[in-house]
Amino acid sequence: MVYSKKTPWTLIMGVIMVAYAYAVQSGAMAGVIKYLGTDRHVGEMLTLGYAFGGVAIVVGLWQLVAKSAEGHVDYYLSTIGGVTFIMLVAFIVKWGLDPQMGQWGKAAQSTLGFNFASVMNLNYVVMGILAGIVIVNVFKVPAWAEHGVRLSRLGLKTGVILLGTLYSLAELAQLGKLSVVLIGVFVLGSVGVVLWFGARRGLPNSMTGVLSAGVGVCGVSAAVAAAPVVQAKSTEIAYTIGTILMFGVICMFVFPIVGKAMGMGYIQFGAWAGTGILNSAQVAGAALAFQPNGIETLKVAEIFNITRVLFLPIIVLWLALWYVKREVGAQKVDLVHVVTSKFPLFVLGFILMFALSSTGIFAPARHYQGSYFDNSDKVMLKTGKDGKVQSKLLADKDLDALKAEASKVTRADQAAALTRLLENKKLMSIDDDDTLRGVVNAKILSKAGNDVLTKAHRAVRHTAPKIAMFRDLIAWFFTFGLVGLGMQITMASIKQAGGQPLVIGSIVGVIKAVGSLIVVLLMVSETI
Amino acid sequence: MTEYSRIVLASHGTPGGQAAERAALALCARGASLRQLVVVPDFWRGMMGDDWLNNASTRETYGRHVEHQIEAEIAVQVARVRTKATQLGLNYQCRTVLGKPAECLLAYSLEFAPELVVIGAPRPKGTTGLRSRMHLETLVRALGARLLIVPHP
Repeated sequence: MVYSKKTPWTLIMGVIMVAYAYAVQSGAMAGVIKYLGTDRHVGEMLTLGYAFGGVAIVVGLWQLVAKSAEGHVDYYLSTIGGVTFIMLVAFIVKWGLDPQMGQWGKAAQSTLGFNFASVMNLNYVVMGILAGIVIVNVFKVPAWAEHGVRLSRLGLKTGVILLGTLYSLAELAQLGKLSVVLIGVFVLGSVGVVLWFGARRGLPNSMTGVLSAGVGVCGVSAAVAAAPVVQAKSTEIAYTIGTILMFGVICMFVFPIVGKAMGMGYIQFGAWAGTGILNSAQVAGAALAFQPNGIETLKVAEIFNITRVLFLPIIVLWLALWYVKREVGAQKVDLVHVVTSKFPLFVLGFILMFALSSTGIFAPARHYQGSYFDNSDKVMLKTGKDGKVQSKLLADKDLDALKAEASKVTRADQAAALTRLLENKKLMSIDDDDTLRGVVNAKILSKAGNDVLTKAHRAVRHTAPKIAMFRDLIAWFFTFGLVGLGMQITMASIKQAGGQPLVIGSIVGVIKAVGSLIVVLLMVSETI
Repeated sequence: MTEYSRIVLASHGTPGGQAAERAALALCARGASLRQLVVVPDFWRGMMGDDWLNNASTRETYGRHVEHQIEAEIAVQVARVRTKATQLGLNYQCRTVLGKPAECLLAYSLEFAPELVVIGAPRPKGTTGLRSRMHLETLVRALGARLLIVPHP
């Protein structure tokens, strides 16, 4: 079978991308970029515009001119149209719609009394997913783009794998422990509650089984994995997946709004989204919607997501045994096969990248939350091209500002750290840095004093160039994946939400969301 | 009662569909050709939703499972109509297609050129069931045969 479709659209999209990049490079778009305030994206506009546009032009021409033959090359080339399509949508949303929505939000603030773009998190992630949903439901995904759109799953998995580079051992250990406890309680708890509900309401075992996996573990993916094991009927699958998709989409919009309204921090929100959102695909969406210009929330949420995913084989195994025990004539299952076939291999990639990162190959091994500590003269005093020495040491006026307020710091360790900072004009250790971050967070000093401490913090904390590159790559892989996943959420599927799965799924889904919110607020602090 | 020699019955075994089956069988002349069309709604294309973390093997197993389930469920419905049609001496055939009900029925009617098309009425509000209804406007605008909509039982 030949997969490539003869279409001019790949070529046309490629030309549009290259033309846009050229227009940015030549300065023709300077006015628009200034109006939208997208100066910081100029680098990626050029790189991504030329790279994706160039590939799309070459492949688009090839597909128009040459006769495709069956084979792997044909299959891989057939994905380029869809990949380009998703990227074009992502470009439009990230570099156009997102900043424009921000402007409209500010403009309407005086009339509405609030910034609707900010309150409703109408950023590029949310709008990208919405764009995908609108495209598939209103216009349909073009046939030439279908193969590429399916690659969005690979985008998300690659994003998770690369995310492994950003964790330190301490972070991973602490987030891992927290996630195992929270996910353990809420996953096992909600699976158990659904099984109990199902038995109490006299539902068929097959329906209860597929619903418990979907509601309890990671949404649609768990339902897909469990349906054959519990021999779910077609209507049961349709009801369950419809319910989960509906809940997932609602949660993706509601969670960030609630999180911001409650003043949650990155770690708290990441933990809540990673635990409380039924469908794992929407966890990343909600995390990026909450914090679109950074990935701290995503890092936390994805650890919880990975923990959920690791629970999947265990839950499927549990359901297999549960089903066989209750259904006369149910086929015995190969337990080893269930576990091995459901094991998410991409998690091994994540672990591998984390292991590589821990060796210091991407950043100094002691990096923490993506940055590392260095207060040596090499980084504190740099000689510019003009021969002048640029110093990151605190200036005299900064020292004066701190000295004036030093008496407000009464705790011994904080006072000692502050004294060392005043004596050396720079932070002397990671511990001192952490201690004085506590002073900033506690707002002990005035704003001016806190600004000096933040300046001192930034002078010694550095993001390795490779880590910065990974951050950008990860953000784009997730954007690509989420826009593509949006193109696979059909209203026709969501409309199937119904029957007992809708009733039980709604009850358990709400209990899980509210319960995890309460636990996170009580148990999770902002410092990991 | 008028009897017809070429009837298309659209039913996939819902209570409304079963009422249509009974009406179609009753309206067939002896030796008539009865064609049953079973439409598997195209929302099943999106029924993997936004699953992103399963591997190809799990997705294939799921796809095969759903196919087998739908096939088995259709087989039960078809067997019921086939048995009755055989008892009545009708020339019965069944076709299963994937798509939108109205579009599929129009395409099949164009091909078979029936005298009468029989369908069940939409189920009453509040009744549970999959949401894939026959789009009546699309159907009646383009259908070239008589259309009988049998009331929901």
